[in-house]
Amino acid sequence: MSVVRITAYRFLSISLLLAYSMTHLSAQSAASPEYEIKAVFLFNFSQFVQWPAHSFPAEQAPLVIGILGEDPFGSYLKETVLGEKVNGHPILVQHYNTVEEIKTCHILYINLPETRLDQVVESLKGHNTLTVSDAPYFLQHGGMIRFFTRNNKIQLKINLEPSKEANLVISSKLLRLAEIYSPVKNN
Amino acid sequence: MPTSLTKKGAWYNRSLFAVLLTFSLTFLSNAVFAQRQESLLSSSRLKKMSLEELMNTEVISVSMRPEKLAEVASAVQVITGEDIHRSGVTRLPGALRLVSNLQMEQANSHDWAITARGFNGLPSAGGVLANKLLVMIDGRSIYSPLFGGVYWDVQNTLLQDLDHIEVVSGPGGTLWGANAVNGVINIITKSARETQGWYLSGAAGSFLQDLGEVRYGTRVDSTLFVRIYGQRLDQRNTELAGGINAKDAWNMTQGGFRMDYYPSATNTFTLQGDLYSGVANKDSLLKHTVTNGQNVLARFTHLFSGSSDLKIQAYFDRTWRTTPHSATPFSYRINTYDIDIQHRFAAGKLHNIVYGIGYRLQEDEAAASLLPLSRNMPLYSGFVQDEITFVPNFLKLTIGSKFLHNIYSGFETQPGARITWTVDRRQTIWTAVSRAVRTPTRFDTDFIRRRLKFLSEKVIAYELGYRVRPLDRLSLSLASFYNRYHDIRSIDSNASPTVPLVLANSQRAESWGFELSGSFQALEWWRLRGGYTYFSKNIWPTSPKVLPASVDFEGVDPRHQCLLQSIMDLPRHLQLDLVARYADQLPGSTFTAHIPAYFTFDLRLAWQYKRFEISLVGQNLTKDQHKETGSSQIPRSIYGRVICQL
Repeated sequence: MSVVRITAYRFLSISLLLAYSMTHLSAQSAASPEYEIKAVFLFNFSQFVQWPAHSFPAEQAPLVIGILGEDPFGSYLKETVLGEKVNGHPILVQHYNTVEEIKTCHILYINLPETRLDQVVESLKGHNTLTVSDAPYFLQHGGMIRFFTRNNKIQLKINLEPSKEANLVISSKLLRLAEIYSPVKNN
Repeated sequence: MPTSLTKKGAWYNRSLFAVLLTFSLTFLSNAVFAQRQESLLSSSRLKKMSLEELMNTEVISVSMRPEKLAEVASAVQVITGEDIHRSGVTRLPGALRLVSNLQMEQANSHDWAITARGFNGLPSAGGVLANKLLVMIDGRSIYSPLFGGVYWDVQNTLLQDLDHIEVVSGPGGTLWGANAVNGVINIITKSARETQGWYLSGAAGSFLQDLGEVRYGTRVDSTLFVRIYGQRLDQRNTELAGGINAKDAWNMTQGGFRMDYYPSATNTFTLQGDLYSGVANKDSLLKHTVTNGQNVLARFTHLFSGSSDLKIQAYFDRTWRTTPHSATPFSYRINTYDIDIQHRFAAGKLHNIVYGIGYRLQEDEAAASLLPLSRNMPLYSGFVQDEITFVPNFLKLTIGSKFLHNIYSGFETQPGARITWTVDRRQTIWTAVSRAVRTPTRFDTDFIRRRLKFLSEKVIAYELGYRVRPLDRLSLSLASFYNRYHDIRSIDSNASPTVPLVLANSQRAESWGFELSGSFQALEWWRLRGGYTYFSKNIWPTSPKVLPASVDFEGVDPRHQCLLQSIMDLPRHLQLDLVARYADQLPGSTFTAHIPAYFTFDLRLAWQYKRFEISLVGQNLTKDQHKETGSSQIPRSIYGRVICQL
């Protein structure tokens, strides 16, 4: 019966599809739309969070947005903040491989395995750093802002306790749009 | 677009796949050489967006379903898990009632008749004859090839773990398969990653006797997440006129699991399954019905880039039901094996192409009534769709076609075209023309023997819609339609004395109407959503043999329907929520009595504190009892519920 041949065609097409697809798996430096939005969020945080004055070593010192771990933004984050200023501070994008490299950093996007989050959050204590991550358990680890996706849209969840400890004032406008994390409710 | 796709004639199974293969390879090689994907939006544009707008910008995630592509420019309505939770409904059909472009009636304690854009066939039969709707749970089709409708009593999930339900009315909303003549319902559950920890819920009440639910989600390591759940539901009897017990009480016990594995940022593997067992009409001897079923589904998604992904999905589903003591004992078993593959990519800057192929084998076995008693029903399907951007962020044309081959009516093609005009960032106008078919069912072909072949029912649908967000807090959508149907099923008289009636395709129909829906964040703590749906139709015979009862058999529909849901967060951790709805009368028919128009509402009051929630829900509060279809009276009822999340 022709069913056999149809099956043969189907499997041929599947395997060819896969083969072609794999060759197409070249590294792409462009960010996915998801990370383009997240990059703009990171930029927006600089507008909706107040840092204590002493977190800037000088009046003209830059506001630093750091990325710890693998950089998912490509050149997009740098393009986004190019030429932007916050209260006279230019914005600088920094990349760190380890937490020890961080000196002054105002917003830190952490892209590390969950097992390392505890240590990172711990060693940032005493810094005035707004910590941001996609990690599902980030807030449980003491992180401040977590990105999550609902209905294909990027949403925010904020843990207020650590941001207060870091002397950061998050504007009510941002808080209103975000979900507030309460440590006892585990999601 | 390949012009040869429109060539009809030589379209047999074999060539379908051969040609699809050729095109896939051509397009794929295009994709390989295509330039780097275009950014979603330039950074300068994104930067100008408000936080609200950023949060409302759709990103293409791995979990994205292909149906999403047609969504913005179609009559889609979406309810989220949160909307469902706040409504106080306890079952899936109740959740669907929150979507105002669905028309539905509760027939008795366990059955619902659900359709979009009319043609709710004999609603008192409880939904199995509403045969123009495609319904899927996580990509698994749940309409029965027996009648083309859905057995809603066995469609249950843990509502807490639902992510959202999207309902697209009209035939253009789906890329896959048949039966999506008047619409498609996509029920999407959350990933195991999003449902971690314990969820314990217990409810008891006057109509809902009891509902117990347990779920546990855990993280095996940072890439592997698992959940398991179980639920038990007992629902009491309704009453017939005069206080007679309808003896339709029933119960359902269900359990299941879901596992999500993320080996890397671009690969996702999902494995999920459910099994259930239930007894309906348990106090009745003759109508006593036993059901059970099992299903398991695996899905692999690979993201090549933001504009290209591949999805492979396979599932197995078995359902069984029997009415052993009936005057005409009935039992029916069906096994479904299904595999689908689809690929999406951008070809150059202007083309966004999706195509897919699928194979489904359904094999069933009935104990009586159908001839042959058992059938193998292979279904081959494919689709290709190209979304062409004429003017970026302004004008788009989407053209495509579904193809399928089934054992009853052979090869079927379902083309469609759609134009989307993004007037500005707050307004979209869209229009579409689509053709769709409802393929014959076992009931159509094997219930009454006849010489003539039963044909597919066909529709040509014309749609025009407008979406607007006049304020950040307010969004509105208007979708209007005019449908022309031909070869609609009819019950014809027959000259033979042994077979006095036959099922034929001797009716035509037209329908028109509109769906208005909206949501409004009135205050920070008060949200409103709702809609109004107007529907009207004409069905007429094309042969003098058609019996007048044919019309009612194909659809008894309300003309007007209204829904309002209000969600309020009050101080002191209190929540006060309302769902109000109005349905117009159902005209009396040969098979069912006239049902008067009704208005009713549900109220929910809840106290949510930390991990606990206690709620009290009143349902159908306006009257002691009201009838929606058939003879069962739906009672005013109340239940209380305690939820604990650890």
